[in-house]
Amino acid sequence: MEIFKTFGLDITLTIAQIVNFLVILFILKKFLYKPLFKILKKREDLVKESVEKAEQSKKALAKAETQEKEIIKKAQTNATEIVKDAKEQGAEIIKKAQEEAKKQAATILKAAESQIEQEKTRAERELNKHVAQLAIELLKKSVGQIFTGKEQDEVVSRAVKELGKKPN
Amino acid sequence: MYMPGFVRFLFCLIMLSLAAEPLFHIGSFTVTNTLTNTLLVDGLLVALAWKISKSASLIPSKFQGAIEIIMEGFYNLTESVAGERTLKIFPYVMTFFLFILLANWTGLIPVITSLEFFNGHEHVHLFRSASTDLNTTLALAIVSIVATHTMSIRTIGLKHYLGKFFSLKPLDLYAGLLELVSELTKFISFSFRLFGNIFVGELILGILFSAFAFFVPIPVIMYELFVGAIQATIFALLTMAFMALFTTKHGEY
Repeated sequence: MEIFKTFGLDITLTIAQIVNFLVILFILKKFLYKPLFKILKKREDLVKESVEKAEQSKKALAKAETQEKEIIKKAQTNATEIVKDAKEQGAEIIKKAQEEAKKQAATILKAAESQIEQEKTRAERELNKHVAQLAIELLKKSVGQIFTGKEQDEVVSRAVKELGKKPN
Repeated sequence: MYMPGFVRFLFCLIMLSLAAEPLFHIGSFTVTNTLTNTLLVDGLLVALAWKISKSASLIPSKFQGAIEIIMEGFYNLTESVAGERTLKIFPYVMTFFLFILLANWTGLIPVITSLEFFNGHEHVHLFRSASTDLNTTLALAIVSIVATHTMSIRTIGLKHYLGKFFSLKPLDLYAGLLELVSELTKFISFSFRLFGNIFVGELILGILFSAFAFFVPIPVIMYELFVGAIQATIFALLTMAFMALFTTKHGEY
């Protein structure tokens, strides 16, 4: 056909072009569209994810802030309570100590008094003994010159008896 | 074929014939200058794919960003028409666009078009836009239409596919047969629209270049770049529309 020749139509060239296009289609599909769309998908996911994350962290921040306030409030009330308790306890301890001290002082005083009393009685007794002996001695000396041995002994024993009868 | 003397004169003047000029032969296979241009386009596309698959990152470079904008634009357009069948249709649409765009534009860039090759008889251009060869445009039309129809059979089944053209109701049968004829004319419309637009553009440029060496052809080159982009878009969008149409059951659209 003359017209085919004018346009240079050639079945082998047409087939070659068809094959060429299909090959290019395959190559572009595999090495251009696929990787590019993978990246686009990845980017979309990333953007979604980061937006979500940002929102989440915003929420978390707000929550943390309210928690912080709550904690501070709690701590403040706790602190005042503790201080109050401590004051009360301190007062109590002081009171107790004072009472204890008073008690102890009283017992110590009592013990001292009884000791003093004992000392006093012992001293008196000693003094009595001493005085008796002194008296006997004095008696012996003064009587010795007047009475004989036998009478002397009797006078002394009688004196001793009399002395013994007398209480302090 | 008869050509008016004036047109024949112009053709001789600018060394551009309707048929692509042969460069050399490998056995019985003729390598034409549109075929070398096709290979050049292939090389560019493979380089693009290689670059993107190698260096694509979450934070895009300017180049990657530009490619992403084009692809996302076509993807969203396809999705708005084809819905869940986008993934099947999109590769055809995108590849038609990129291939035809580069084929059109590589025929316009002065450095590429000025390369010449001696084929034993005469000096011819080493590269001539692949779209100015009816073999290429017909091949693209065949791929587009055959892919549309196979996709149609695969998605909606043979019964619904045949139902698009044949029916027991007389009116539907009439409309279906008209559809069938329009499918056959698609081969011609697809191939000649692209071929005609780009071929004429190059013809005008050739005439201008033979008359004026500088300045005057520049706005025309700009215009032809625009036409090249438009034609690539038209081919891609028509393919997309037909594929979306043919993967929908009759009466659903």
